[in-house]
Formats: sequence, C-alpha cells, structure tokens
Amino acid sequence: MSTFYDESEYDDNVTSQGPVLRRLLKVLKPHWKTMLFAMIGIALVSFLDAYFTILNKRIIDEGIAESNISTLVRLFSIYASIVLAQSFGFFLFIYLIGLQGERVRYDLRKALFNHIQKLSLSYFSKTPLGWIMSRVTSDTEKMADLLTWGIIDTTWAITNIIFASIYMFTIEPKLALIVVLSLPLMIIVSFKFRVNIYRHYRQSRKANSKMTASLNENITGVRVVKALRREDKNLKAFEVLSTEMFRESYRAAFLSAIYLPTIQTISAISLVLVLWQGGLMVSGTTLTVGGLQAFVSYIMMILWPIQDLARVYAEMQNAVASSERVFSLLDTKPAIVNRENTLPPTSLVGDVIFENVSFHYEDGEPVIRNLNFQVKQGQTVALVGPTGGGKTTTVNLLCRFYEPTSGRILIAGHDYLEYDLQNIQSRIGVVLQTPHLFSGSIRENLRYGNLEASDEQVEKAAKLASAYDFITSFEHGFDQNVGEGGNLLSVGQKQLISIARALLAEPDIFVMDEATSSVDTLTEALIQKGMHQLMSGRTSFIIAHRLSTIKSADQIFVIEDGQIAESGDHKSLIQQRGIYYNLYTKQFRHDLETKFDPFIDAGTEANTA
Amino acid sequence: MIKPEGSYVDLDMPKILSSKKLASLWHLMKGYHTNYLIATVFLGLAAFARTNMYLVLGRYLDQVIGEGFVGNQLLLAALNFGAMIVLQAISSFMSNWMASFTAENTTRRLRDYLFDHIQRLSYAYHAEAKTGDLLERATSDVDTLRRFFAEQAVGIGRIVFIFIINLFAIYSLSPHLARISVIIVPIILIVSMIFFKKLSKAYESYQEQEAVLTTNLQENLSGVRVVKAFARQDYEIKKFDDNNREKFNRGKKLNLMHSFFWPISDLISAGQQIYSSFTAAMMVINGALTIGNFVTFNSLIAWLIWPIRNLGRLIVDTSRAFVSFGRVSEILRAPEEDLFSSTYEPAEGIRGEVEFRNVDFEYEKEHPVLKDVSFKCEAGQVIALLGSTGSGKTSLVNLLPRFYDVTNGSILLDGVNLKEYSRSYLRSQIGIVEQEPFLFSDSIRDNITYGVHREVTQEEVEQAAREAAIHDVILNFSNGYDTLVGERGVTLSGGQKQRVAIARTLLINPRILILDDSTSSVDMETEMQIREALDKLMANRTTFIIAHRIQSIMAADLILVFDKGEIAQCGTHEQLLNEPGMYRDIYSIQTRIDSELQKEIDSVNIL
Repeated sequence: MSTFYDESEYDDNVTSQGPVLRRLLKVLKPHWKTMLFAMIGIALVSFLDAYFTILNKRIIDEGIAESNISTLVRLFSIYASIVLAQSFGFFLFIYLIGLQGERVRYDLRKALFNHIQKLSLSYFSKTPLGWIMSRVTSDTEKMADLLTWGIIDTTWAITNIIFASIYMFTIEPKLALIVVLSLPLMIIVSFKFRVNIYRHYRQSRKANSKMTASLNENITGVRVVKALRREDKNLKAFEVLSTEMFRESYRAAFLSAIYLPTIQTISAISLVLVLWQGGLMVSGTTLTVGGLQAFVSYIMMILWPIQDLARVYAEMQNAVASSERVFSLLDTKPAIVNRENTLPPTSLVGDVIFENVSFHYEDGEPVIRNLNFQVKQGQTVALVGPTGGGKTTTVNLLCRFYEPTSGRILIAGHDYLEYDLQNIQSRIGVVLQTPHLFSGSIRENLRYGNLEASDEQVEKAAKLASAYDFITSFEHGFDQNVGEGGNLLSVGQKQLISIARALLAEPDIFVMDEATSSVDTLTEALIQKGMHQLMSGRTSFIIAHRLSTIKSADQIFVIEDGQIAESGDHKSLIQQRGIYYNLYTKQFRHDLETKFDPFIDAGTEANTA
Repeated sequence: MIKPEGSYVDLDMPKILSSKKLASLWHLMKGYHTNYLIATVFLGLAAFARTNMYLVLGRYLDQVIGEGFVGNQLLLAALNFGAMIVLQAISSFMSNWMASFTAENTTRRLRDYLFDHIQRLSYAYHAEAKTGDLLERATSDVDTLRRFFAEQAVGIGRIVFIFIINLFAIYSLSPHLARISVIIVPIILIVSMIFFKKLSKAYESYQEQEAVLTTNLQENLSGVRVVKAFARQDYEIKKFDDNNREKFNRGKKLNLMHSFFWPISDLISAGQQIYSSFTAAMMVINGALTIGNFVTFNSLIAWLIWPIRNLGRLIVDTSRAFVSFGRVSEILRAPEEDLFSSTYEPAEGIRGEVEFRNVDFEYEKEHPVLKDVSFKCEAGQVIALLGSTGSGKTSLVNLLPRFYDVTNGSILLDGVNLKEYSRSYLRSQIGIVEQEPFLFSDSIRDNITYGVHREVTQEEVEQAAREAAIHDVILNFSNGYDTLVGERGVTLSGGQKQRVAIARTLLINPRILILDDSTSSVDMETEMQIREALDKLMANRTTFIIAHRIQSIMAADLILVFDKGEIAQCGTHEQLLNEPGMYRDIYSIQTRIDSELQKEIDSVNIL
C-alpha cells in the first residue's frame, strides 16, 4: 500500500453540516461536566481580560489624576490579585482542556479501532489501507482539536467581544457605537483571509506529498534514471512540482503577511474616529482620560478574539469533513455477523461438506459455481489449478471470511452459519502464503496461536515445527525481536514460525496456502516436516504448489473457473491424462530444471502449477 | 512576484558547506540577500512605528488634558496616531512578505538542488543509502530550514528590534524606569529556553508513541487475515488500547508542562509589569511623569516583557534548524558522479567491440568481486554470462556504463579505454533490460519514451510496442497508452514490465545491450513473445546476457562461466560441450529431465 496516501484527494464538501455537528457534540457527552466547567472558566477569564482595561482606566482616573495614593495602592492590589487568580485559572483550564483533548483522541481512536476489528474481510479488500489509517490518525486529531480548543477559543472570543462591547457602552455609548459598527467588517475580512490562507495551506500540503512521492520514486529508481540519462528531464519535472509547492506555500505566506496588517488598518480608522471624537468629549469633560485610553486598548485588543474566531471557522469545515468520514467508518456494518441462537462453542471435528456452494463478490460475476464435495474427518485435500480459478475463494469460504451466496457448508454435521463466528475462526488454523508476523519477540508471535500457552508449550510447538534450532541460534532466542512485519527474519524462518504458531493453536481444521517463493533446500525440508505435523489427524485443505504435498494428499481438486474440473487421488488423475496430468508434468519439469541448474538465481524459480 | 526566481545552479555549494553554521545559512540565501535586508529594514521600521504610536498617544493625551487642541489640531493628532498604525501595519507586511519570499524561494531552490544532487550521487552511494533516511532529510529537514528563514530568523530580529527601540523610548521617558523594567528579562529568557528545550523532548517522545501506534494499526490492518484466522480481535484491541493509553499518558505529561509554564511565566511577567507600572504611577503623582507618559510607558513595557518568552522558543527552534542543516549538508557533501568529463566521442558512433584486460574490481578494499577478467568480443556478438548468485556477473555488466570503475586493469570499447568516454555518452550507447524493470508512475507512453531524448511520434511508440509484443496488452487498458502505471493506474505483471522495458530500449536504439533474460514468472505463451521481442532487440547489437536458460546460451558467440569472480570456462557452446566442467553438466539437464519424468509417470502406472 501507498506510504504517501494523498489525504487531500478528499474535498471538504460536507453534504449537510447539521447532523454531523450534532453527532460531533455527542462525542463530548461523557465529558460535558468538564467542558461546561472549562467554558465557564474561560468566560470568566475573558471577563477579567476585559476588566483589566477598566482597572487601568480607574488607576488613571481615580488614582493618578486624583493623586490618591491609597486608591492607587488598592487598585494595584486588586490588579495583582486578579492576575494571581487568573494564573491559577489558566493553569486549571489549560490542564483540563488539554487533558480533555487527549481523552477525546484516545476515545475516538479506541472506538474506531474496536469497530475496525469487527469488520469483515471484504471491507479490507475494497478499502485502501491508507484510507483507514488516515481516519484513525489524522481525522481524530482534527476532531479533537475542534471539540476542545475550537470550542474554548470560540467561547473566549465571543465572550471577550461581548464584555468589551458592554464596557465600552458603559463608558461612552457614542464612541462604543463607532467601534461596534466596525466589527462586522473586521470579522468578515478576517474570515475571508483565514479561509483562503487555510485553502492554500492545504494545497501546499497536497503539493508537498506529490513532491515527496516524486523524490521517493527517483531514489528507488535511480539505477534506471542513471542508465537512461534522465537527470535533466527529471529535474525539470521535479521543478514543476516544487514550483507548485512554492506557489501554494508562498501564497499562504503572502496572505498571512497581509492579513493582520489589513485588519489593523481597518481598526486604525475606528481609532482615529475615537481619538478625534473622544478628544472633543474629554475637552467637554463628558469623558475621562482613562476612559479614552480604555477605548484605545479595547480596539487594539479586540483584534485577537476576531483572529481566533476566523481561525476556528476556517479549520472547522475541514474538521467537520473529517468527522463525517470517521462517522461513515463507524457506521459501516460488518458483512458477516453471527446469526441468532448460535451453538455454544464446540469442536469442529467432523466431516466438511460443500453443498451446491456458489459465491460472487459482484453480482453477475460468479467466482465459485455450484461447488459440491465431501471431505472426511482427518483427510488432506490438495487444491490445485490456475491463478484466479477459485482456490483461495474456496478456503476463504471455508474459514467463513466470506459466506456462500447460495448453498451450504456443513462442518461436523451443522450448517456452519449455526456456529459462532469466533468459534469457527479460532478452531480453523490458517497458514498464509506470505506469513504475516507482528512487531515484537518470536515468543509473542508464537503465542498469537494460543495466548495461554506456557513457555514449555511454545518451545514444544517450535520443536514440532522444526523452528526450535534456528530460534535458539539467535542471540536472544525466543525473545529475539522480529522487526516490523517480521522483516528481520528470512522468508523461510517466517514460514516456520507461522507453522509453529498454527500448531500451538491446535486447530480442528487446518488450512494452508503453500508458499511459492523459494527457500533453500534445508528449510524447505523443515517446512514440509512442520506441515505434516499440522496435517496429521486434522482435516486439512492445502492450496498446494509442492509436488510432494500434492502427491500425498487424500483427495486432489483441480479448481478451474470456480468449479471442480477434476478430482481424485494422484494416481487416478495421472492416469486420466487430463488437466492435472499437464499441470503435474509441467511443474515436474520446472522443479527439476531448478534443481539441476547450478547457476539459477535464488528467487527466480518461483512458479506454480 | 509569484513566479520563483533564480536557478539552483548559481548556488556556491563548496562555500556554503565550508562556512560556519550561520554563515552557511546566509550563503544559502544567495540572490535574496537584498530581500532579506529589506525585510530587516522594515522590521526595524515596524518596531519604530509601533513605539512611536504609543509616544504619539501619550502626547495626545497630555495635550487633551492640558491646554487642549485648537481648531483641527485634534483631528490631525488623531490622524497622526492612525498614520503610525498604518505605517506599522505596512512595515510588518513588508517585512513578513520579504522574509517569506526569501524563505520560500531559498527552500524551493534547495529542494531542487537536493533532488538533482541526489540523482547524481554515485551508484555506490545509493547502494549504501537508505531511501527513507534520504527522503526524511530532503523533506522534513529542509522544511525545518524553511521555518528558520521564514519564522525564526525574522522572529528573533523582530523581538530584538522591539526590545531595543522600546527600551530606548522608555529610557527617554525615564532612565530609572528603564533600569527597573528589565530586571526580569534574563530570567524569563532562561526559564523559557529551558522549558522549550524540555518541551521539545517531551514532544518527541509523544511523536514516537504516535509512530508506535501507527505501526500497530498498520500491522493490524495488513495482517487482518491472521487476526481473523486466530480470532484474536480481543487481543488486538487490548494491544492497541495499551499503546493508545501510553500515547494518552505522554500527551498528559506534555499537557502538564504547558499547564505549568504558561501561567507561571505569565505571573513572572505580570509581576514585573505591575511593579514597573506602579512605580511609573507614583512618579506621575510625584510630578516626574505626565499621564500621557504613563499610558505610553504602560504599553511599551508590555511589548518589552511579553515577547521575551517567545524569544526563548525561537532560540531553541534555531538550534533545531542547525541540526537539520547538518543532516542536509551530509548529503550535499557526498560527491556527484562526473557525467561529462572525458570527452571522447567518435564521430561515426561506436561499433561495439568490447575487450576486458585483466580487470579486477572490488566494492570494498580486500574484497575482490572480479579477479583478473580478460576476454574480447566483436561488434554485434552475443556474450552469455553464467554463474551463481554473487559470482560477479552483475558487477561485470555494471562496469560497462561506468556505474562503477574498474579497480585494476582496463576495459576497451572499440579499442579505446572506457575512461576516455564520458559517462553520459557511454550510457546513451548502452541499453539495459532488467529482470524486473523499474517503471515510473507516469503513463505507459511516458515510460516507453523515457530514455529517448527527442520528440517521438505515436507511430514510433506503437511500432516499438508492437515489436516488444506489448501493444495489444496496452490497447486493452482503459486509457490505452495514456494509462498510468502504478497505484493510480494499472499494476503491470513482471512480464509486462519487462516488455515495456524492451520497447523503451528499442526506441533508444543502443549499440550495446545488457539483458537479464530471466522470464520465469510468465506463462508459456508470454515467454515465447518475450523471447521473440528479445531476439528483435538483440539483432546487430553487442549483447551481454545474464543467462538463465539454455536457449539464449546456445545462441551466444561467447559463453563466460563465472565462479567466485573469475572466468572458470569460456568459449562457444560447441567448445564448452567438448570439455568437462560445469557447462556440460547444465547442458545435459533437458535430457535428464525427460527421463526422470518418464520414470515418475511409469511409477504411478505401476502402482
């Protein structure tokens, strides 16, 4: 999957904001007390912010102008106590809101992850991995930001504007009117700027991811670049991308540079009017000097809440779009769910029967057509046939990763829809073609098969799977770290571990997609041995590529076009001289060529019947 | 002014790299120094206008209280105040504009330079380097530098200007006030530097946990079949929850740091302001200052104290920019491959005679990969290279386009030492078709014409595609030749990629060809098509084949069997068949396979 998942491919056009916003607020429901507390707190802070200006006015008018030292001391003491109280308040609500933000992030990620675990395999085959990842990582961030600082900043900004306006009206209504009338203009201009800045910023992020992708490709393909002397042309192509990045980034920076000066200039108009008219009033003594000074402060400071409002507004649209995507993921229903009244957890030991099983992913494009077969308890079935013939779908149906669109699958005498989903999946052991390991130690990976397994059991399984020797040869033995996705181990080692993991799970039915990639002869022999351990006594379905596996199977199904084209054991199928015969002889030749050719490169011989 | 200016070529990289940190960054801005100086001048002007604005306000207030204004003097005074605001606004805009113009242009040029530099680094460098690391340095480290130019350099300048000018203005009001108002400044600066340093550590640890969480998620998603196969959903939920909680805890710690720093530093700054303000108020009462002076002072002191906190942050960020520059310059220091020195270019083009004379080659000292390799071939001949992995085949063909140069001995092309030809010219004469060729995520047409340095008509492209047996495949794609390759378009199979590479090479029409003829991952019919396409490609060209199959070997004019870097056997098919050795063993494979198969079938029938 892509590392550079292009987030900005999605536009932010939300069909209707109302329902999304309402649902977004519901996310806060468990925390409404904290939120309410913080909002009251910030409103108080905002009130005090506005009150400081009044206090300054009184210091000038009642203290300094009157030369009243005791009043001056009293006012400064009030000032200091408010500052002290406000700092404490600040501490509390930065702490509360920050914590709140982390908590909302945590909750959202958890809800998403838990929901993702419930979704069926079909969802993951149609949804790009990067898309899901972005929902859990970046979208939750944006939602949490809007739900915490977004709300707090808005509350602060609105209350601050209101308190400042009220105070201005109490000082001098006519001057206050001048200021209040200029507010809408400043707010509109601010919003326009912010939305544009944000748009260019997002465009630059998009350009940046394109640029990074191009650089990445040029580094991984540097051999071809050099061989074909593409340096100059590639640089030109890159310059187009870097110029686009420059343009968007520069536009955002330019708009940011001109934004504040613009609203400052607008505010200059009201300041000039206030100083002019206010000056007349002071001369006429309807206004004090402190009052005039307070107006100047209010006008200058009101720019901050306006900027905050505009910023939240610009980011909100994006956050709402994020929320809509997150909610759509949360609303996705799993395609495969438990039926009502499932049987209690039970063993799946018994025959496996496919009765007229058909399956399609898309209407009108059948993948499996009317599949009928019966496998007795303990038998091994080899599935062979061309790629896309339906082998993998057959075992996916058996594991109930998908369910038949018509027909029935019976396991141990019951239609498998009667079983609990977890019961089926935990009783069927699966070894995949490309074994997937998780970051962590070898022990942790083995224990994935059985979380309660003791160290002895883990080691025993490793021994049965012939993985014990190579594991203990590592410096840290079973505690050796396997790296991300197990990439510190070789392919063969990963296969042995995935076999040991399946052994530890002691499944009733065993499903394996045999690997086609080549491993050295010794490891190959070990893998075969491990597989036999798994198959013994268990009903096994193997998508087989190795001749030895195929030959030793109790039944062989040649699956072509979603149907069983030939079936029987090795001997009878060879004697039929049909599809199987051709597949077998071709593979036989190929294997020998590989075996005899001392020059063949490892890894090139992969081929399947 | 939205069009970027200047080309990366005029960057004097040796000078930049040999300078001290700050000087390096200055040289990096070459061509934009004037813009940056303008930005600085306007920074000063903005600071001056702001300070002056408060001085004007103070004088205005004193005038209002005192004798009052006569006539339109009041309006003029108000306008004067407004003019200062506008001057301040325009100057701020100019300085921010010029600074971001410089920052964006400098960064864009650096990005281009790095892109070009990276693609011109030697083959050996790329064999060693990790893609992710290179990418990280060329993107996020460069962005850290951009922020330095746009924010930190300007930000520090702004704060310093404001501080100096305000201090000067306060001093002019009262030297005593100036002295008592800066007591707290060093303390705030140190506290904030310590805080931001700690904060950036805590933030890194938060980011690390974010990465852990992302990896966890990614592994869960890519291993979804394993999760379901073992029904381990609950286990996965718990694992994710643990990591999620750890991130929550680290976020909590980060948050706690913020919750302490801001109120406490607020308190310290406010304490200074109240103290200074009270002192000033007393001075007014004592007649040492006017009320207007008091108002002016009250505003100036705020601008003196509060920005210092930010200065601490900017200084810490600057040290991060230096680290990033160090990481970027490590790449920049690596020497580029010399594509154009040595100028020999035969007027009539090359014929394709190749001779190896006692060639030794090693990647690292004392680890020879090729030992004393000598052979000669005529123009147009086919040379098959045989040998196991690591025997030296690939290293040998890498010497031809001078991806690497020989350690000892010499290679002659048409009798002239390979080192006489420029790398660029050589590579124009050599075509390479790899086993799994790398295609770019462009259209198929772009990929076919990728190596041709001229305009190519659609007919030519189609002709090449037909010869490479890929034309019909391409027409089946929804957008034909415009179909994109890769994630955003079609995913081509190994065999299809190889045929696109064959078409690409046919268009280049090189004199020498290097082929990896492995075609094992395709079906019989495709294999036939690829064989035919390769035959067309090889006609009249000196061809080196890294051979995996009998057919291509048999047709070769010269077969070189490699063993541990040395030529173990060499000759034509007939010659080699007549001598004992590895070659004869391989050749007998087919006959052996036939008899083994018959035995196998018989055994079934007997059972």
